Amino acid sequence: MSDTIKINVNNKDYDVEAGQTIMQALDKIGFHIPRLCYHPKLSVEGACRICIVEVEGAANYVTSCTAKVAAGMKVRTNTADLRKARRDLLELILDNHPIDCNTCERDSNCELQGLSRSIGIKKRHFTGEKKLYDIDLSSPSITRDPNKCILCGRCVRLCAEIQGVNAINFAGRGFNSVVMTAYNNPISRSVCINCGQCINVCPTAALSEKYYTVELFRELSSDKKLKIVQVAPAVRAAIGEAFGFPAGTNFEKQTVAALRKLGFDLVFDTQFSADLTIMEEGYEFLERFTTGRDLPMITSCSPAWIKYAEQFHPEILPNISTCKSPMSMMSSVLKTYYAQKRGIDPKDILSVAVMPCTAKKYEAEREELSLDGAKLTDIVVTTREIAWMIKSAGIDLSKTEGEEFDNLFGFSSGAATIFGVTGGVMEAALRTAYEVYMGESIIDIEFAALRGFAGIKEAKVMLGDKEVRVAVAHGLGNANIVIDMIKKDPDRFHFIEIMSCPGGCINGGGQPYAGSEYVALDEELLKKRASVLYALDRAKTIRRSHENPEIQRIYKEFFERPLGPKSHKILHTNYKQKYPTGVYKK
Amino acid sequence: MATAIENLKSIKQGAIQDLIEKGLLSSTRIYVGMSTCEIAAGSKDVWDTFQKEIADNSIKDVQLKQKGCAGRCNLEPTVEVLQAGKVPFKYINVNSAKAKEIIKKHLLENSVQSAERSESLKTDPFMLTDRSKFVFGDVDFFSKQKRITLRNCGIIDPESIDDYLSVRGYESLAKVLTDYTPGQVIEEITKSGLRGRGGGGFPTGLKWKLVAQEEEKEKYIICNADEGDPGAFMDRSALEGDPHIVIEGMVIAGYAIGAKKGFVYIRAEYPLAIDRLRIAIKDAEKNGFLGKKILGTDFDFDIELVLGAGAFVCGEETALIHSIEGGRGVPTIKPPYPAARGLWNKPTLINNVETFANIGVIILDGYENFALIGTKESKGTKVFALSGKVNNTGLIEVPMGITLREIVYDIGGGIKDNKKFKALLTGGPSGGCIPEEFLDSTVDYDSLKSLGSIMGSGGMIVLDEDDCMIDIARYFLEFTQNESCGKCTPCREGTKRMLEILTKITAGNGEEEDIEKLMRLANLIKKTALCGLGQSAPNPVLTTMKYFKNEYDEHVRLKKCRAAVCKGIISSPCQHSCFIGGSGIPSYIGLIAQEKFDKAVKILYSENPLPIICGRVCHHPCESKCRRGKIDKPIAIREIKRFLTDYAMENKMDGMPVAGDEKEGKVAVIGSGPAGLTCAYYLALEGYKVTIFEKLPVAGGMLAVAIPEYRLPKALLKYEINNILSLGIQLKLNTEVGKDISFSDIKKEFKAIFIAAGAHKGLKLGIPGEDLPGVIDAVELLRDINLGIKINIGQKAAVIGGGNAAIDAVRTLNRLGVKAELLYRRTKNEMPAWQEEIDEAIKEGINIQYLVAPVRAIAENGRIKKLECIRMELGGIDKSGRRRPVPKEGSEFIIEIDTLVPAISQEPDIDFVTSGNGDGIKLSKWKTIEVNDETYYTGSDGIFAGGDVVLGPKTVTEAMSHGKVAAGMIDKYIKGEELTRKYSVTKPAVDVAIVEMTEEEIESLERFDIPMLEMSQRKGNFIETELGFSMHQAVCEAKHCLRCDKEEKE
Repeated sequence: MSDTIKINVNNKDYDVEAGQTIMQALDKIGFHIPRLCYHPKLSVEGACRICIVEVEGAANYVTSCTAKVAAGMKVRTNTADLRKARRDLLELILDNHPIDCNTCERDSNCELQGLSRSIGIKKRHFTGEKKLYDIDLSSPSITRDPNKCILCGRCVRLCAEIQGVNAINFAGRGFNSVVMTAYNNPISRSVCINCGQCINVCPTAALSEKYYTVELFRELSSDKKLKIVQVAPAVRAAIGEAFGFPAGTNFEKQTVAALRKLGFDLVFDTQFSADLTIMEEGYEFLERFTTGRDLPMITSCSPAWIKYAEQFHPEILPNISTCKSPMSMMSSVLKTYYAQKRGIDPKDILSVAVMPCTAKKYEAEREELSLDGAKLTDIVVTTREIAWMIKSAGIDLSKTEGEEFDNLFGFSSGAATIFGVTGGVMEAALRTAYEVYMGESIIDIEFAALRGFAGIKEAKVMLGDKEVRVAVAHGLGNANIVIDMIKKDPDRFHFIEIMSCPGGCINGGGQPYAGSEYVALDEELLKKRASVLYALDRAKTIRRSHENPEIQRIYKEFFERPLGPKSHKILHTNYKQKYPTGVYKK
Repeated sequence: MATAIENLKSIKQGAIQDLIEKGLLSSTRIYVGMSTCEIAAGSKDVWDTFQKEIADNSIKDVQLKQKGCAGRCNLEPTVEVLQAGKVPFKYINVNSAKAKEIIKKHLLENSVQSAERSESLKTDPFMLTDRSKFVFGDVDFFSKQKRITLRNCGIIDPESIDDYLSVRGYESLAKVLTDYTPGQVIEEITKSGLRGRGGGGFPTGLKWKLVAQEEEKEKYIICNADEGDPGAFMDRSALEGDPHIVIEGMVIAGYAIGAKKGFVYIRAEYPLAIDRLRIAIKDAEKNGFLGKKILGTDFDFDIELVLGAGAFVCGEETALIHSIEGGRGVPTIKPPYPAARGLWNKPTLINNVETFANIGVIILDGYENFALIGTKESKGTKVFALSGKVNNTGLIEVPMGITLREIVYDIGGGIKDNKKFKALLTGGPSGGCIPEEFLDSTVDYDSLKSLGSIMGSGGMIVLDEDDCMIDIARYFLEFTQNESCGKCTPCREGTKRMLEILTKITAGNGEEEDIEKLMRLANLIKKTALCGLGQSAPNPVLTTMKYFKNEYDEHVRLKKCRAAVCKGIISSPCQHSCFIGGSGIPSYIGLIAQEKFDKAVKILYSENPLPIICGRVCHHPCESKCRRGKIDKPIAIREIKRFLTDYAMENKMDGMPVAGDEKEGKVAVIGSGPAGLTCAYYLALEGYKVTIFEKLPVAGGMLAVAIPEYRLPKALLKYEINNILSLGIQLKLNTEVGKDISFSDIKKEFKAIFIAAGAHKGLKLGIPGEDLPGVIDAVELLRDINLGIKINIGQKAAVIGGGNAAIDAVRTLNRLGVKAELLYRRTKNEMPAWQEEIDEAIKEGINIQYLVAPVRAIAENGRIKKLECIRMELGGIDKSGRRRPVPKEGSEFIIEIDTLVPAISQEPDIDFVTSGNGDGIKLSKWKTIEVNDETYYTGSDGIFAGGDVVLGPKTVTEAMSHGKVAAGMIDKYIKGEELTRKYSVTKPAVDVAIVEMTEEEIESLERFDIPMLEMSQRKGNFIETELGFSMHQAVCEAKHCLRCDKEEKE
């Protein structure tokens, strides 16, 4: 227990915990100090200066995010001078920011805009030169508009501290300071892994997903193709937030209905292909586990993780499962088995994926994931984009009855549902692997040790007399730690799940912004989203992938068996080392 | 085991032995300044010459050695010849030729004799703090300095550890390692009162203690040599001149705080300092002062150089640390301070170069002796890089507590070219501008801070009247904006906006609200920026706004840049500096260069009603700001103007415009001097009926009765006045207001009145006997002579004063055959008279006695016969910025004279206002009329006033400008309009192309002196002394004009 000290805030005494910052203390006693560069999950930068307070005895204003409370400290949070200073600071930021709120994708969902309103900027005093940079549209996943950047550095810190990628950093001095990639390369040629976490912490629209909504609307209005959409598990756990529903609302059926209203011919569930993934990955693991080849095996669902490994840990590529991600498996199946079954040319299928993930857009572009030179997944849109499209198309959700997924690829097990949350893939895989290996049912199929938001979770499972040691890491900073562990001790784990985004797909880079109630990366928000998926799992009678009858049918009709030659050709892939720009093979 | 001291002794013996073996101690040594600044001044050539000459002449027993910078920037390259037993002989501004001469005269012919070393100097030639005096001599530049950290700079060879050892090098380290525990070292430093020399002034001992207290085993020392202020070169020179002193300080610090590793963070732009440090580190390692088991003890310490890429912000300690770590040089928030978590999160001691250089002397001389130097709160000395507009620029080290005035005037030798001091900038872009009124403040951390500036790391830039404070503030803000790391909002965005506003103001587009915005931003940034760079970035603006607010107002409201710097406002400095603004100077000069004289005449006459007069007697402020003057000498603008008027007269060109249609409202002008004439002229042009009342029998005021014929021929004056009168102006001579006509009658008859009665009453000296016959004021004397009134002057006369009236009087008397001399209480430098007038007087053989003041007049036979005088000396600086004359007691002496002519100043003589009729007109304590300083309205019944009657004795063009403005205001008054002035930026009258010239033409273009009347022809007559340019001469002169008006705006 930490000590309690007395501080005086606006002439009233309060007992607060010692050792915390003024901001933390004030938050707890009910004073929310305006803030911008501060983010509770990132290191303290103290750059924007918006969170200043007056501390008696200090010559200058004090940033409440950095200064710690001290016994007897007298703090004032709202004096006229202080308000003026905060206002002027924020105006200085606004003065170097485009005035295009009405055409900005973050209008009404922009921290800067909200702050400007709450601080009360009515008039501008200091207008002058504004920065003028090209917008970087090079990446299939992430669009960077330095003109909208207010240099709070959250993205920089996130990329370094949470993801360990360091794709972007500050460059230039003074007014010419800008966040850029190494050598100011286009982001597509940088080490950016497309996870999109930077978008979620960005207070403005300086970082956003590359949008494909125009293209998709165009495709939807054409009748030439069979328009098929698949929806990832995490989408249904969060999309409701975009329509003003509280976090934790299950939106599965409304999403399906809305997608049909948008004009899709068929709405399939990525959870079906998640079950397929488990079949392949589970068998792959068992094969490796029994032969001892390339252990530990690491999951491959997260495309940002794949790029990360290719760039920074190429030596570990053989350990990564050769299974395609559920999205790509679905697309592969659509353009092979399904096209064959319906007797249509795969070219006449429009395969669209609604994903919580920005890196999926990149995944869709990967050459090794193409079929006869054509893309498997034609268009990937994020949860945010599809929510916008639904709104934009004038679809009134209050008058939209929930609907079920379409047949063939609309049925999934509970195991597939929990793919969307950290630990879920591992849990799903173990449910199947255990039963396949042991030939008996597992009694407690909920692996508590693999749930929750600890950065690295470890567990042991007994397959008979054999111990399987597994680990789950989310956030690539944590992944890096796990990789270090196995480099030191290759035998430490047999099976590792890695998700790039902290919390897994429910916190993907394409999920709705945290809104005003939460901040990005907020565990409370993640718990709410996770609860949707866990509840869906629990509500299902079939909770193991191999028990999914549709899965059983596809093996019977098409793939014959997991890891068979057909599935090997269609459902598996391989990865190669990627050299970041400026780094060459010796 | 031998102690460190014993080990040092044996190392030294080896070294000294080495010297003796090489015969160095007994030989002659030539030290050539080889620091960056010396090399830039050409010392490499000097070095090569010496080397060649020594070889060619096979001179034996001579050692050629390099030395660092002694600090005398303006005298470099410097060379010192050291001979055993003799006082060192210094040579300044040496070049190859001079080097050959030194070899010849000093070494070969032995014809230069150094003084024998005096006893007092002999006793302790190696004492630390006063060694510089011994070497450099007791000249002003050095005598007020106290050199501790620079004690070896410019004396020893920085690349020779033997040289360093010979001046007690590494003794303090040996002493510490032998006799002191780490705690005792820290105590010693603490008691010395040393504060951080990087600028902040944090107590050094306390900082050491804080790091020493940290439990972490691994600790680091960083020497901050990332000097980045514009105008600062202390660290570079110190490291180039004496690198070992810093190394020694760092090793001691390492011992004291328990660190084994030190870094010198030095900017890569200092290659010579880096080289010398590398050599010094290597030599120190070789001799056991660095590395393992230092001086045989168990203490290990290494030093590594880290080259900074030259970011100003990396002077900030946290940014510097990140830079060493390989990251971006960006400050982070403190706490934690580096003392707790610094380099690689280990406790780190960061001190600046100068701080480390102080350590050795504290140890060797003892903290008590160190603490004797300086003030109560600021101990020791401070090194400054003195630059800007002082005569002696250079690197100086002064005891804390010295006044800024002593630095500027004693060490710096005063302002260059006798210009007026304006401000002292300390602390570079983070500092502030200190005005004249605070020059008596002392140099210490707290007093400079209280003035809004900072000590900083030691940049000190002197600004003079030709520096625009807004432009200076803008320059520094531009620097900080460029150097801002861009992390925090106020520094990144705020300084940009401030810079934009300042740029707007200097471009002439300033609005009143801009000043308020500037203030608002400055205070915001100061109170909210993350690091010291940001918090102090507004200082130059804040201090200039505090001390030079009027310049901001002038720029914004009056569109005036008094220093004639801000391009957007001034167009060309000459035109902007002219009181009768828009005088078309660059335009008519450009036309003359094209030999289009008729057009030039038109422009001249359209802008100036009295061009003939101005062409002869204007004090031409235009020339004092002429940019050509910064290259060689200013364009002779007045002379060109005179040429034009001569040309116009010769060619019978009537430049005069025609009066406008007659308007209602009669205007009276009292006085026919330049103010009155100009006012009447412009009113007549508007169509008003103007009557000029003149007390004297001639028109022209001072032009007619004070300025002697040899400067302004009466016929020309009359010609010009007649021109003006021809516009229909009525002139009533011999009409004294208040006597020949009552002021109230004038008030009744005329709608508006312009009082331009001048200042014709001489001021009293205030000495006994000045009412005696034979004492006649200069104005009265000149008036009588000009009017042809006979006065008894006698054979000998003395004129008292230093202004133009004094010079006119003495030169006039001289022409009349009187033996007249001039007595002035200060020196020539302080004389207010125009330089060329003084020079002409001297050429004419007039004796000027400087530093002499009259004490009393002594009579004989009822008339003055003798004048008792006293000699003066110059003391401190007075309000006028000049050094105050102080009587030297007992220096009285007597001169014999027949006439005494006081010429100290004049005041208005306006009884008609003071005798009850001037209701509502207020007088100042100088008896001048008080008016609104923009409209010249007295506030009473349509009465305006201008010229000397308002200003006191001033210049022709100032009087004319009053007349011109008053005419405009009288027009408004009569029309019933509001009396306000509109101001706009200066623009050339017309756009005139620059004459294209080839390189050869430019090369061959002659420059002529102003033709003057031969001295022999000046006696006994009043023939005009200036003869004027010929057409060819005027065209050549005009072609030399740089045509600032055509210069592209920034």
